Amino acid sequence: MRIKSGQDFAAGLLFIAVGVAAFWIGADYPMGTPQRPGTGVLPRILAWCLIGTGALLWLKALLVEGPNLTRWAWRPVIMISLATVAFALLVDRLGLVVAMLVSMTLAALGTPQTRWLEYAVFTLVMVAIGVGMFVYGLRMPIPIWPKDLPGALSWN
Amino acid sequence: MELGGLFANLSLGLSVAMTVQNLFWCLMGAVIGTAVGVLPGVGPTATMALLLPATYFLPPEGALIMLAGIYYGSQYGGSTTAILVNLPGEASSVVTTLDGHQMALQGRAGPALAIAAIGSFFAGTVATLAIAMAAPPLTKLAQQFAPADYFSLMALGLVFAVVLARGSALKAFGMIFLGMLLGLVGTDVNTGNTRFTFDISDLFDGLGFVPLVMGIFGIAEIMHNLADPQRRDLATAKISGLFPTMADIKRSIAPILRGTALGGLLGILPGGGAVLASFSAYTVEKKLSATPEKFGTGMIEGVAAPESANNAAAQTSFIPMLTLGIPSNAVMAMMIGGMMIHGIIPGPQVMEQRPGLFWGMIVSMWLGNLMLVVLNLPLIGIWVRMLLVPYRLLAIAILFFCCIGVYSLNNSANEVLIIALFGVIGYLLMKLDCEPAPLLLGFLLGPMMEVYMRRAMLLSRGDPWVFLQRPLSLTFLAIAVLLMVFILLPNIRRARETAFQE
Repeated sequence: MRIKSGQDFAAGLLFIAVGVAAFWIGADYPMGTPQRPGTGVLPRILAWCLIGTGALLWLKALLVEGPNLTRWAWRPVIMISLATVAFALLVDRLGLVVAMLVSMTLAALGTPQTRWLEYAVFTLVMVAIGVGMFVYGLRMPIPIWPKDLPGALSWN
Repeated sequence: MELGGLFANLSLGLSVAMTVQNLFWCLMGAVIGTAVGVLPGVGPTATMALLLPATYFLPPEGALIMLAGIYYGSQYGGSTTAILVNLPGEASSVVTTLDGHQMALQGRAGPALAIAAIGSFFAGTVATLAIAMAAPPLTKLAQQFAPADYFSLMALGLVFAVVLARGSALKAFGMIFLGMLLGLVGTDVNTGNTRFTFDISDLFDGLGFVPLVMGIFGIAEIMHNLADPQRRDLATAKISGLFPTMADIKRSIAPILRGTALGGLLGILPGGGAVLASFSAYTVEKKLSATPEKFGTGMIEGVAAPESANNAAAQTSFIPMLTLGIPSNAVMAMMIGGMMIHGIIPGPQVMEQRPGLFWGMIVSMWLGNLMLVVLNLPLIGIWVRMLLVPYRLLAIAILFFCCIGVYSLNNSANEVLIIALFGVIGYLLMKLDCEPAPLLLGFLLGPMMEVYMRRAMLLSRGDPWVFLQRPLSLTFLAIAVLLMVFILLPNIRRARETAFQE
């Protein structure tokens, strides 16, 4: 047997994997009684449904020609993820300005099309808008600058 | 139904919608919606997700009026770029490019835009009236629903969403189950047990709706669009003379009427919405036309019908959300998210408990449509110039607004980490050609279905046959099963045929 659609096969694999994981993690959730169904009823039903759907997709992948997997665009995926994570980790510790600068630079590295002069101007405008709108305008309690640099760098 | 009640309701709505504040939010929504409709790669779902945290600062009326405005505004904006630069800003205006852009190339962009706007406005008006008339009886019906009926209705809604969705039905089912599973994360309200929390305290309250949708619709879309930069051909057709000729108008009347009716009906069905409506309306016009071969060469019917249909559908898809509390597509899921942020539980009780909100929103939709016609036609030049903003900059801006938006909900940096995670998951799902909309519906409906399932089982003293004994519930389930057989059969048949050929 040959896999005729890598895409369907991978989707099936995903559903089956999540289904099995859900079943395994939820194995000790109580089932309750028919009159008072417990915590574990729906997770178990859904796990079976996911496994079933995945199995049908596998069957389809073996029987029906379909699209194959396409290449992942690793660069934007990694850089945009890093940009988001950087914002999350930095905003409380080093303030909004640093978080924005780091995060937006990482995002700009996500595409070869970035023109750095244009990017620099745009980023400064965005930082001004961000601070003006969210800290001064909406009065969100976000630090703008690092409060004390050594403390912030100690990473607690 | 009595007409007096309708007028009383609409005038109550008018009094809410006409306050300066709410007019302002309506305008804001319509303008933002047009902007995102114009920009390809920035859809109404992502925009509404982006603005959900911001609506927290508004009164609930203003919040929902603005969110609704974004949706129908994007329908207008999408058609503008479809006609002028052959770029459908939204999926619902893809068919408009076929004849609309041809008209623009022939120097008739003005009439095409005008007919699109007039058709949209007419459809929006009719659909608003339809909502106002359909809502009270449907709400009354919904109030007689027992828990078992609700459970079955939601199941039917999910099946409908699969049947009418584009792409593989199997994958759509998988996405629904995945969404329902994600919806179960957190503390089970009935028993107090936690599920799938991995002992992370941030998950005890469940996964947030906003971080989930921002990850899947915001971050994942940035990744996808940066990887695959679209060519933007800005060889814009010149607009000379906005006014359609009498002949144009005469040819458009019937298509607008048909488009409105078809779109209005398809909009009510879950999973359908504006995209399906515009495609079907175009097909119908082509079938009915005396000169079907001319479609694609600049027929005004090919603009009038789909543009009316997508707007009608955009409006009537509010009906199941408003009366039953059931989201029929991703955008309605956003509306429900907006309600929940303000502590309003969507469902038939909204109309009785918050009539001002309910009718105000309906009337604001009509006002918003009017604003769009008045504002958009003169501003078209500005909208088109927006296309000059390169996506590499838009991406950075969207990323920032996603991060700060989610952060602002609870001042929690951990929720920003969740959008990074769901961004990657969303990208993976895109690569597997799994539409994210069913996942969102499952996420919202899963926990609700569990509540109704438990209530039904409690009332029936543990007898599962209750779902088949109540006539309403049985009807819903029977339709759901029929639909499933209907959608799965051709697949099986096709699979068999291919297998036999080998």
